[in-house]
Amino acid sequence: MSETQLRVMDFDCPSCASTVERALSNQEGVEDVEVHYSTGRVEIDYDDSVADPSTFEQTIENQGYTPQPA
Amino acid sequence: MDTRSVKQHYRKHRKAIIVAVSGILYAGGWTLGYVSTVDTASAAILVLAAIVGGYDIAKTAYHEVENRTLGIKTLVTLAAVGAIAIGSYWEAAAVVFLFTLGSYLEGRTMRKTRNALEELLEMTPDTATVRRDGEQRAVPAREVEAGEVVIVKPGEKIPVDGDVVEGESAVNQAPVTGESAPVHKADGDEVYAGTINQEGSLEVETTGSGTDTTLQRIIRRVEAAQEAQSPTESLIDRFAKYYTPGVLALSAGAYAATQNAILSLTLLVIGCPGALVIGPPVSIVSAIGNAARSGVLMKGGEHLEQAGKIDLVAFDKTGTLTKGETTVADVAGFDAEADEVLELAAVAEKKSEHHLGDAILEAAQDRPAAVTDGGTEAVQADTESAPGEARPVPDPESFEVIAGKGVVALYDGREIVVGNRSLLAERDIEVAEEVGDYVREREERGETVVHVVRDGVVVGAVAMCDELREAAPGVVQELQDAGIETVMLTGDNEHTARAVAEEVGIDDYRAELLPEDKQAVIEAFREDGHVVAMVGDGINDAPSLATADVGIAMGAAGTDTAIETADMALMADDLDRIPYAVTLSKATRWNIYENVGLAVLTVTLLLAGVLTSYVTLALGMLVHEASVLAVIGNGMRLLRY
Repeated sequence: MSETQLRVMDFDCPSCASTVERALSNQEGVEDVEVHYSTGRVEIDYDDSVADPSTFEQTIENQGYTPQPA
Repeated sequence: MDTRSVKQHYRKHRKAIIVAVSGILYAGGWTLGYVSTVDTASAAILVLAAIVGGYDIAKTAYHEVENRTLGIKTLVTLAAVGAIAIGSYWEAAAVVFLFTLGSYLEGRTMRKTRNALEELLEMTPDTATVRRDGEQRAVPAREVEAGEVVIVKPGEKIPVDGDVVEGESAVNQAPVTGESAPVHKADGDEVYAGTINQEGSLEVETTGSGTDTTLQRIIRRVEAAQEAQSPTESLIDRFAKYYTPGVLALSAGAYAATQNAILSLTLLVIGCPGALVIGPPVSIVSAIGNAARSGVLMKGGEHLEQAGKIDLVAFDKTGTLTKGETTVADVAGFDAEADEVLELAAVAEKKSEHHLGDAILEAAQDRPAAVTDGGTEAVQADTESAPGEARPVPDPESFEVIAGKGVVALYDGREIVVGNRSLLAERDIEVAEEVGDYVREREERGETVVHVVRDGVVVGAVAMCDELREAAPGVVQELQDAGIETVMLTGDNEHTARAVAEEVGIDDYRAELLPEDKQAVIEAFREDGHVVAMVGDGINDAPSLATADVGIAMGAAGTDTAIETADMALMADDLDRIPYAVTLSKATRWNIYENVGLAVLTVTLLLAGVLTSYVTLALGMLVHEASVLAVIGNGMRLLRY
C-alpha cells in the first residue's frame, strides 16, 4: 500500500473535484482517493503492485485539469 | 523556442488560449451575421466558436456522466448542443464562451485563495549548513538529522527546528507566530524552521527537519482545516446532489409542457449550482488562510462558523491576562522573622511544582545568605543576586499537595502548612487579626497571599504578584466594543480576583475556582445559552478549553498538543490576537450568509426572468457567471481582513 499526493490548482467548482475523485477511484489498484476542492489537494492510497502512480496524472488530465506535484 | 517548450507553454496556458480563440470566433461570427446576409458563414463560425470553447467542457461532461456525478458541465453541454440543434447558433456560442471565460477567471481567483499558504511553504530554505566531521558542509535541509548542529548566518532563514547552542541574535518569527517584532534568541532558546535570523550568527541543535517541523505541522493543520466541511457546506452539498437532477427534470418538464426549447435550455443554464456551492468554501478557505498568516490556527469550517457566534469570552487569569511570571512581592513575619518564613515556605513548596511554589523557591534561593531584618518588616525578593550566593533549600521529610489550596510538609520534625484561607479553615488553624489585615491589604492590590504555618501557628505570609499583560485592558475593551461579554476565571481568592478584574476592566469574574470548577463554570455559561470561548494556555486549561464551544490556546508554537487539539491556537503568546480571531470568525460567518443569500437571490431572479421571458440563454449564463465571480470576490475579501 502506498500513498501519493498531487495538487490541482484549477478546479473551478466543487463538483469538478468529485468528478476527478470518481475517475481516480475507478482506476484499478486505487484503494482510497480524497480530492479537496478548497485546497486542490489530491490524496491517493493505492496498491503499488497493481496501480502505476504515473497514470494518475494522466487520469486527471483526461478530466480536463492540470495536475502538479504536491 | 523548440516544439517542446511550445507544447509546455500551450499546456500551461491552454485554458486562456481556448477562452481567447472562442471569444474571437464568437465576436467574428456575430459581426459577420450582423453586417452580411451570408447566414451560413456566420453560423459556421459561431458553431466553430462553440466547439473550440466547448470541447473540454463536453469531455468533462462525458466523464461526469460516466462517473455518475451530474454536474454543471453536463448542464452547459446539454444547453449548447440543444441550442445548436434548434439553430440558435449565436446562443450556443455565447453560452459556451461565457462559461469558459467565467471558469477561467474562477480558476484563477481560486488559485490565489489556494496559494495563501504557498508563501509560508516557500519560507523554508532548501539547504542547511551543518558541521560534520569538524567541517562545515551544505546539505539538503530535509536530510539534517536530529542532534546535528546547523549554522545560520545573519540574514539567512533557519532551515530546521532546534535549540540555540551558540550565539545570540534577533529572529523574525512572523512565518510561524505572525509576530512582526523580532524575538531575541540566545543559548537554549527554541527556534523554528522558516524564521529569519536577522543579526548574529547562530548555531542550532536540530530537533526536527523536513516535514517534522512546526511550520510544516502548521501548514498540514491549516490545510486539513480548510478541507474540513462546515455545517453550511455539507448542507449545501447534500442539497446539490438532488439539485442538478432536479434542474434536468424541471427543464424536461418545461419542454413537455410548453414545447419551448429555448425556455427549457435556459432553465438548464440558470439552474447550474455555481455560486451556491462555491461561496461557503471560498469564505472559509480565505479566512483560515488569512488567520494562519497572522499566527492564528483555526481548526476548520465547523469551528469557524461556531466561533462566529461567540458572545462570551472567558479568560484564564494566570498566564493569559497576566504574564504568568509570578514573583514574590513581599514577605511578612508574625511569629518569626521574614527570612525564616520564606525559608519555611520554600522547604514546604520545594517539590510542589506549582507556579506559586516556584516563585517562593526562587525568591528563597536568590536572596543573599546574610539577610536579617527586624520582625515583621518586609523583605523584597532580590532576583539580581549572583548565582554564587544562592542558598540551598533543604528537602522536606514528607510532603503532600492539597490541590487548589496549598501544601502540608514535615520538616525538622515540625509540620509546615503553606496555603490559603480555606486550607487553614479546614485544619482549624486560627488566623490572628494582624495576619488577616495584612493578607487583605495585599490581596486588594491584586496579589496572591499564602499563609505560612508552623505546628499550627501562623508565623508569616508570602505575597506574590503576577503582572498584568500590557495588552489585557485593551483586548477586553475591544471585545466589549464588539458586543461580547468578558469573564475572568481564577483560582485566586475573591479580593485578589476583584482587584485584578477591576484593573483589566473585565465584565465579571469567578474566583476561588479549582481546576475542575473552571470546566463547570464554562458548562454553566453554555447552559445559560451563551456561545462560549475559553482562552487559556492549552495544557493546564485543556479540560476547560475542550468544554467551551471554542477553545483558544495561547502560545501554541512550542506545544504540539495545543496545535492539534485547540479549536483555535494562537502561535504567539500574544493576547492581542484574540479580538482579531473573534471578529474574523464573525466576519466569516456573515460572509458565508452573504454568499448563500446572493446565490439564492440570483437563481430566484433568473428563474422569474426566464419564466417571464426576460432572460435569454446568453443573458442567463452571463448573470450566472457574474454571480459566481461576485461570490468568490466577496469571499476573498476575508484574505485581506
